[in-house]
Amino acid sequence: MRYWVLATFLTIFFIWYLTFLARRLDRLHQRVDNTWANLDVLLQKRAAVALEIAHSDIADPASSMLLTGAAYQARDAAIQNRSNAESGLSGALGLLLEDSRHLTTAADSQLLTELSALTDKIRVAIALHTDAVNRSQMLRNKFVVKTFRLAGSAPLPVTYEFEADVL
Amino acid sequence: MLSKLLKIGIVCPYSWDTPGGVGNHIRDLAEYLIAQGHDVSVLAPASEDATLPSYVVSAGKPISIPYNGAVARILFGPVAYARVRSWIAEGEFDLLHLHEPAIPSISLLACWAAEGPMVGTFHAAAKHQKIIFAIGPILEPAIEKLSARIAVSEAARLTLTDHLDTDAVIIPNGIYASRYMHGTPQSKWQGNTIGFMGRFEESRKGLNVLIDALPVISRFAPDVKVFVAGPGDPDEVIKEIDPQLRSRFEFLGKITESDKADFMSSVAIYVAPNTGGESFGIIVAEALAGGACVVASDIPAFDDLLGHGQYGALFESENSTELAKVIIDLLRNEEKRNELARNGKTHAQLFDWSVVAEQIYSVYEMSMVGGTKVRVSQDSRSWSRFLSKEEKP
Repeated sequence: MRYWVLATFLTIFFIWYLTFLARRLDRLHQRVDNTWANLDVLLQKRAAVALEIAHSDIADPASSMLLTGAAYQARDAAIQNRSNAESGLSGALGLLLEDSRHLTTAADSQLLTELSALTDKIRVAIALHTDAVNRSQMLRNKFVVKTFRLAGSAPLPVTYEFEADVL
Repeated sequence: MLSKLLKIGIVCPYSWDTPGGVGNHIRDLAEYLIAQGHDVSVLAPASEDATLPSYVVSAGKPISIPYNGAVARILFGPVAYARVRSWIAEGEFDLLHLHEPAIPSISLLACWAAEGPMVGTFHAAAKHQKIIFAIGPILEPAIEKLSARIAVSEAARLTLTDHLDTDAVIIPNGIYASRYMHGTPQSKWQGNTIGFMGRFEESRKGLNVLIDALPVISRFAPDVKVFVAGPGDPDEVIKEIDPQLRSRFEFLGKITESDKADFMSSVAIYVAPNTGGESFGIIVAEALAGGACVVASDIPAFDDLLGHGQYGALFESENSTELAKVIIDLLRNEEKRNELARNGKTHAQLFDWSVVAEQIYSVYEMSMVGGTKVRVSQDSRSWSRFLSKEEKP
């Protein structure tokens, strides 16, 4: 009789634990979605600012062309090509900023400040997203989570390659 | 700049009526955000007879426990938990900002009780905190709920990655740099003078290191004077000083903010000999902003803050011989002193609230992307319904 009580108690506890884990996992997945949405918006903004820079006096015709191309590519890239496109844009911006530091007028320098503020935000957004992804991967790798398929059909969150060196 | 007006709930783990680094940080942040038009409510433990500013809500009377080399006055337990929950339920916050959520305190309780956009700031930097290791498995699911983590320094970030393996964004503590910028040098504090500020009774503040260095310093600079500012009873400390050198020390007691600015701009050298337990070093940042030439121990927080010696001189922590050497060198070299002070003053502008609060605010914005408000979490509601019947709707 005592064993039955104990067994029931353990089963109830275990079921509670499973729901607890599932809720944790759900929360993490939500966080991954949110942080990615956030990062995505910021990257789109960066592409827009890059286009503005390309049309301003900061860029000479050659780098303007380069930048325009890169910005459009980043904006329209499908998810598989996103890494390449964003890294390309980073490269193009980097090239331009390196030698435009000394020839900026007031109006243009506002664009550049905007870009650098955006860059700071993107850096934070990337950190947040990477952390969310790492945490959920860690939890997804737990034995219990795997065995009981607590993640359901949700795809395993991944970080994008460009996150490491986008800036 | 700060665009949308928010309802922000900030949780302070330490008692509001005992001043400390975290408490000051929260007070300044709350006041800055209120000045920007945001609606801020701070939940903090406080004694019954304490007078609280209008934006602070008391969570109950704190208890004192030793923590991280000092006595922490914090609060937890079922009654506190109930108060935290009702504060969250009534507040309808857009965002919660929890300070130091990794120690047993109302911050951790709030982290348990709430769901939605939450930001956590980690202040402490300490190697191998056994207590965190012990309760790590309980802590993890709670810390995981934070949508963003902020560490106040590289040292605090490392503590976090070591103990809870999760990463954080570094945003330094803020100071009102402008308050310290225009101190008028006072002749009573000028000359071959050394300044020290802080609760000098605590051994981790390192006044002893300075006392041990003084015999050597006074041999090379016979007219040296040491001014010690800060709350505490000097009698105990005076006993430890060599009787011949006692006249070199002057205890000023707690000084006001405006005196602080004058103090920092007057003394020839400001010394921060802290032996550890320091995570950011707000007082050093203030000294830099006040235009003092800073000499600090090379603990990670100060090493970082002083740019590895670029904005102030460093000495090996707890090594009073080296401290004496560094101080003597600087007392003799006014040019070097002025250069360090100038560099430091410029550097300190980075810690001004106008910069720091913007950074914090952009983290707020990012964690609110989901668009939901803060609410009492499902599981904690069902538990409370299970435990106490009176909360049924």
